Amino acid sequence: MLKSYRAKGFFRKGLLTVLQYIIKRIFEMIPILFIVSILIFFFTHLIPGDPARLVAGKDATFEEVATIREELGLDKPIWEQYVTYMGNLFQGDLGTSLKTGLPIMDMFVDRFMPSIYLTLFSMVWALVIGLLIGTLSAVFKNKWPDYLGMVSAVSGISLPGFWLGLILIQIFSVQLGWFPTGGADGWKSYVLPSLTLGAGIMSMLARFTRSSLLETLKADFIRTGRAKGLKESIVIPKHALRNSLIPVVTIAGLQFGFLLGGSVVVETVFSFPGMGRLLIDSISFRDYPVIQAELLLFSIEFIMVNLVVDILYSYLNPKIRYTA
Amino acid sequence: MRKARYWKILLLVIISAVLVVGCSSKESSGEKSAGSKTESKEMVIAVNENFISMDPHNTGDTNSNSVQSAMLEGLLGFDQDGKIIKKLAVDYSVSDNALEYTFKLRQGVKFHDGEAFNAEAVKANYERIMKDDSLRLNSRGFSLITQIDVINDYELKITLKEPYPSMLTRFVSAKILSPKLLKEGNNNIAKKPVGTGPFKFVEWVQGDHLTVERFADYWDKKDRVQKITYKPVPENGSRTAMLKTGEAHVIYPLPSQNIKELESNKDIKIEKIPSTIARYVSINTMKKPFDDPRVRQAMNYAVDKNAFINVVNAGFGLPLDSIIPSKTLHYVKQGVYEQNIEKAKQLLKEAGLEKGFKAEIWGNTNSDTMKGMQFIQQQLKAIGIDVEIKSMEEGTLSDEIYGAQKPEDTKLQMWYVSWSAYPSDTTNATRPLFYGGSFPPNGANTAYYKNEQVDKWIEEVGKTVDPAKQAEIYSNIQSTIYKDTPWIFLGVDEILAGKRTNVEGVVIEPGGGIDVTNANLK
Repeated sequence: MLKSYRAKGFFRKGLLTVLQYIIKRIFEMIPILFIVSILIFFFTHLIPGDPARLVAGKDATFEEVATIREELGLDKPIWEQYVTYMGNLFQGDLGTSLKTGLPIMDMFVDRFMPSIYLTLFSMVWALVIGLLIGTLSAVFKNKWPDYLGMVSAVSGISLPGFWLGLILIQIFSVQLGWFPTGGADGWKSYVLPSLTLGAGIMSMLARFTRSSLLETLKADFIRTGRAKGLKESIVIPKHALRNSLIPVVTIAGLQFGFLLGGSVVVETVFSFPGMGRLLIDSISFRDYPVIQAELLLFSIEFIMVNLVVDILYSYLNPKIRYTA
Repeated sequence: MRKARYWKILLLVIISAVLVVGCSSKESSGEKSAGSKTESKEMVIAVNENFISMDPHNTGDTNSNSVQSAMLEGLLGFDQDGKIIKKLAVDYSVSDNALEYTFKLRQGVKFHDGEAFNAEAVKANYERIMKDDSLRLNSRGFSLITQIDVINDYELKITLKEPYPSMLTRFVSAKILSPKLLKEGNNNIAKKPVGTGPFKFVEWVQGDHLTVERFADYWDKKDRVQKITYKPVPENGSRTAMLKTGEAHVIYPLPSQNIKELESNKDIKIEKIPSTIARYVSINTMKKPFDDPRVRQAMNYAVDKNAFINVVNAGFGLPLDSIIPSKTLHYVKQGVYEQNIEKAKQLLKEAGLEKGFKAEIWGNTNSDTMKGMQFIQQQLKAIGIDVEIKSMEEGTLSDEIYGAQKPEDTKLQMWYVSWSAYPSDTTNATRPLFYGGSFPPNGANTAYYKNEQVDKWIEEVGKTVDPAKQAEIYSNIQSTIYKDTPWIFLGVDEILAGKRTNVEGVVIEPGGGIDVTNANLK
């Protein structure tokens, strides 16, 4: 009964409201992105260090550096650079990298999808296993499944990704030869990086699920359900778990957003062509256009993920509604 | 009820569709590479950093140069010791005034796109560099070219405005691209180069790999491997693991901390190559108390060079016994300032500093640099010099050093750093570091070393064509500067590479370049 009410709650206002809501949110993105672009641009240019000097090389003379600075447009006043930058951005031109001279779009193309897949694979297994461990731990509170689950969760959080990655390579690549040590070539090369990246998130989700579910299990409507003679196999997943998911979804959404930004550690250990290492390389080279483009992309991704999370909220709890 | 189920099914379908699309597109590329691997004619070379650009006229990093040299050739090339050899030129000569370079070109050479290689092609390439001052090679010699005369199809003469002693080395770096590609513009050149080399470009997936395959019409017909894939693998442990599993046939550099576990592996051989990487601490010779040569000598006597090499590079290296590494052309051994604490203290006493003094050393945040600076700190402590370490992120450091417009402005006292130049390019191994006109921001003379006599020699050797005369002048330069001790002379790295035993014909050059011209798998 409860379920059908909920489904109706979600659809009652119709798909139109949902769409209106989404469109409204997307329009709201514009001022946010505008402010973000200003922050990114000015803070990037505030980092000490001169890209022209880095492009020119250690043995360059003063004149060479000056020529390159002019060539890169870095000799102009900063607001003028910003106006040029925004102008190009509106025409869909992210600019070219100072370091490689390649269009930034080209540099993103090869790295963006691997980062997305890695994020998806890591999140999917972390969600499934995390929810499972969390639920079992809550249901069997203070029994051995709980202890076992929480021990694995604590280990998952505590193991540094760097160390875990190298250990997995040593066991599964060097000793057993099941998976390649790195790269992004075929599904096999995604296994070890996803395991490494998902471990911490899985543990976090398990702990959140457990504590949230324990709270819900104390609630009146659960007691009512049980008193009415509902089976545990109905009470736990249908009634209790769904109502415990709000904090879990929040955490999962945040983590998802972070993962989309790429993970420097995992990308380094597994020589994975993702967005994280590109950002670090760009920062140490003061490759302003690449840093700006990446940060802008991450902001958009984060805003999108937040939108999805908000929609999920109202599916999980119809009391949370959108006002279009 | 039904609506709810519909919603769930829809969600499930979307998620699985995304995953299937994700997997399947990967799977197809996975199959491709698995298939080629079974042919066992594909060689994989793993290096430590990403490739930056494939434009040979605008590249400064070793790894990009390595990959380019598989596909592209210059008129001249390097042998395995870094000496200059003829590549696309069969002969060359330099006029006595060091202004005219005449080349006879190799005949019957084709570019990968079928274009013919001739004097016009060379001219088109050099003109590209002359005209575009955003290209790295432009300011490195090519802007000095006043005229390129095509004498006939296979002969040309290049005239310079003024002598430029590194020019021969630049003719190695200035690889010749297909004239057709030149017309397509800088963007394509940087992404998919077309040259005359033994291998031709196949694909470059940013951050993942770059593949080249054998060029059937290469002028030097020899048996060589079908395909080579270059992979950037920055993590030392991962690169080592790839060599062990056979996923990589060659890794460069081989991390020195992994050498023990690899030595016992019979499928792997380890190569040690003396490099042109000199490690030193430059001392600001214009700042008190470093302006007294006795103080700088004392600092040199305070440091144990062999211990330094053990601490910083796991014992792989040689003491720096001149102002240039032993692989550099015209090198003359000067002897080592062996550690002698008594002598060092005596020198400080003569300089009136027996109580020692406080000083500051700068370096980047790299962990090896930190180790090196701590070592120097500890060694100088023994003679009463109290060194404070200031490590700065590379860009900030560069700002601090090159931001000073005049010698008086700089706060720099000591800089822990390294320098590397092509073995054939003695000019670049000396002029930017010791010439009076190379103070920052004009060059890397961060010791602010100024010696009228040395300046004269450096100017003179730049106009000298006769190798014997060059050698004589460089010998004088080395002995004079070595005595003046503008640096704490530390060491020269030995670079390490790992290869599977079935690898043949892959040569690691002293500058860290990888020559695959004759690469093959047994």
